[in-house]
Amino acid sequence: MDGLLDEFGSGDAQARAESWRYSRQALRALEQQEFKGADGKATVPRELIERFDWPQTRGHRLVFVNGVLDAALSDASTSGAILETAADGAHTLRFAGKGAMHLVFANVATATPARWNAAVHVRVDSGKAFLVEQHVGTQGADVLGALASQFTIADGANLQTATLGDLPGSASLVRRVEATIGAGSAFGATHALCGGRFQRFDIDAQLAGARAQIAARGVFALRGREHVDVHLDVRHAARDTASDVLWRGVADGRARGILHGAIAVAPGADGADARLQTKNLLLSPHAEIDAQPVLEIYADEVKASHGATVGQLDERALFYLRSRGVPLAAARNLLIAGFCREAFARIEATDLRGPFEALLDAHLPQQQQASE
Amino acid sequence: MTMLKIENLHVRVAGKEILKGLSLEVKSGEVHAIMGPNGAGKSTLGYVLAGRDGYEATQGRIEYDGRNLLDLEPEARAAAGMFLAFQYPVEIPGVNNTYFLKAALNAQRKARGESELDSMQFLKLVREKLAVLHLKEDLLNRAVNAGFSGGEKKRNEIFQMALLEPKLAILDETDSGLDIDALKMVADGVNAMRAPDRAFLVITHYQRLLDYIVPDFVHVLADGRIVESGDASLALRLEEHGYAWIAQRKLAGAA
Repeated sequence: MDGLLDEFGSGDAQARAESWRYSRQALRALEQQEFKGADGKATVPRELIERFDWPQTRGHRLVFVNGVLDAALSDASTSGAILETAADGAHTLRFAGKGAMHLVFANVATATPARWNAAVHVRVDSGKAFLVEQHVGTQGADVLGALASQFTIADGANLQTATLGDLPGSASLVRRVEATIGAGSAFGATHALCGGRFQRFDIDAQLAGARAQIAARGVFALRGREHVDVHLDVRHAARDTASDVLWRGVADGRARGILHGAIAVAPGADGADARLQTKNLLLSPHAEIDAQPVLEIYADEVKASHGATVGQLDERALFYLRSRGVPLAAARNLLIAGFCREAFARIEATDLRGPFEALLDAHLPQQQQASE
Repeated sequence: MTMLKIENLHVRVAGKEILKGLSLEVKSGEVHAIMGPNGAGKSTLGYVLAGRDGYEATQGRIEYDGRNLLDLEPEARAAAGMFLAFQYPVEIPGVNNTYFLKAALNAQRKARGESELDSMQFLKLVREKLAVLHLKEDLLNRAVNAGFSGGEKKRNEIFQMALLEPKLAILDETDSGLDIDALKMVADGVNAMRAPDRAFLVITHYQRLLDYIVPDFVHVLADGRIVESGDASLALRLEEHGYAWIAQRKLAGAA
């Protein structure tokens, strides 16, 4: 039975199998479990609320509890967005002009394993919108969430998203974004994915109009048996479009990280500028990172570059720090954090760097000081 | 007082013997220059003193401040006052210069049982030292050496030295790649730090730097050994005659 693969995969059987090959086992393990429908009215504990109740996003925050919008915890009065909910339960956020929204997905564990599905679409009709997407949860019985989105960025509009995947070891998340980027418009997406039992992130982006741009950046920092699978598929479908994918991965313990970055330049999409770079750090002989850069180019006038590396900490940099007096364990931590931070160097909303760095600091594989 | 005593040091790197019986004694307050042709083992000497992995001492001993230096980890050597200004300072993207320097200084202070500096005290100290090296404050907000020009990297090394105030500073070809203005700034930074309780080991290929940092002693390192020692005038004679002159003199002496 291919229940979850049929549900989460897209394309024909072969495409699904290929796209999920590194995570098939993780999916099978989830299939073994009996999930009930998650309780969308579960009480969110105070300590979980504290993790997303940022002062700077009060008044433009929507909180989903196990996939269900929680009106009491939400307040979008100053967001500049219009929220519509369709008969099938899918929500659509429409931005026109300047707007910002903090979307919180709280996975609240109940007595038995539970799962939820939700759909939140985003339309930016004009102007610039900022979206923070935060996934948090409580430890307990397994929760499997599935969140699907269509992002539609109209001609000349701009959407910047920041995604913080900060899950407890009992939560799994399957997140899929289909983005359509219009002429002269821009989509910037930054991710920090940590924790969780299993996280799968798909971004399927179409540069549909001339001069459309996408910048997708992010980090996964994994330890223990964490498993994060990221698939970025960018299609240049119009002239003079630009894509910039930059990803950093760190894996310790028996963790598994996958970054599949595929850029396709369609026939006639001349003047495309495609960049794809991923650097990965393995901190343990049992950790595994699979970096798959794919370029498919069907146009003539194209600038394209890609690079993927998987390596260990730079011995020269480590010695340099130690020669200045920084102890070995601290020097390693400094290098690992610095390696990840490069992915955040160009976040536009500088007040978001704090939450990103705090999330990383809490999740980076810490090297313990031998003498302490 | 003897600060550093190297006796019959043999060092192997990647299976190859690079230092072959090097002996050297440095006292507090002295500036020693180590000169020599490419491949003589100059940088190896710097690395083995600072404790780089893969630089294996197979024979001989190094005594530093009364302790067996080879027993100490690189960070412990730094805390004991050892500093190596790298010939090729390492670029570390993503690691903020200020954060790194504060971590380094406070780790050293902690290891020595001194109180750690808070942010205000640290910034005050940093600003004093930046002024000496004519470095701009924006250097502090950048990543360690990332995107620095060659000259900026070398000045950053000397700035770090000024901040960490070592007892024994080893300058590994700090002059290479510097224009004359940058060279003078570096030399001013070093000269300002000369003190009775501090010693310098200045490793260089050219005599030029020694016009500005005048050494008490000059040693010629060739084929893994010190083959000639003298005062500052030895550097001038080397500049005039080249390293081949030393090789010839050795041959004549052996005959």
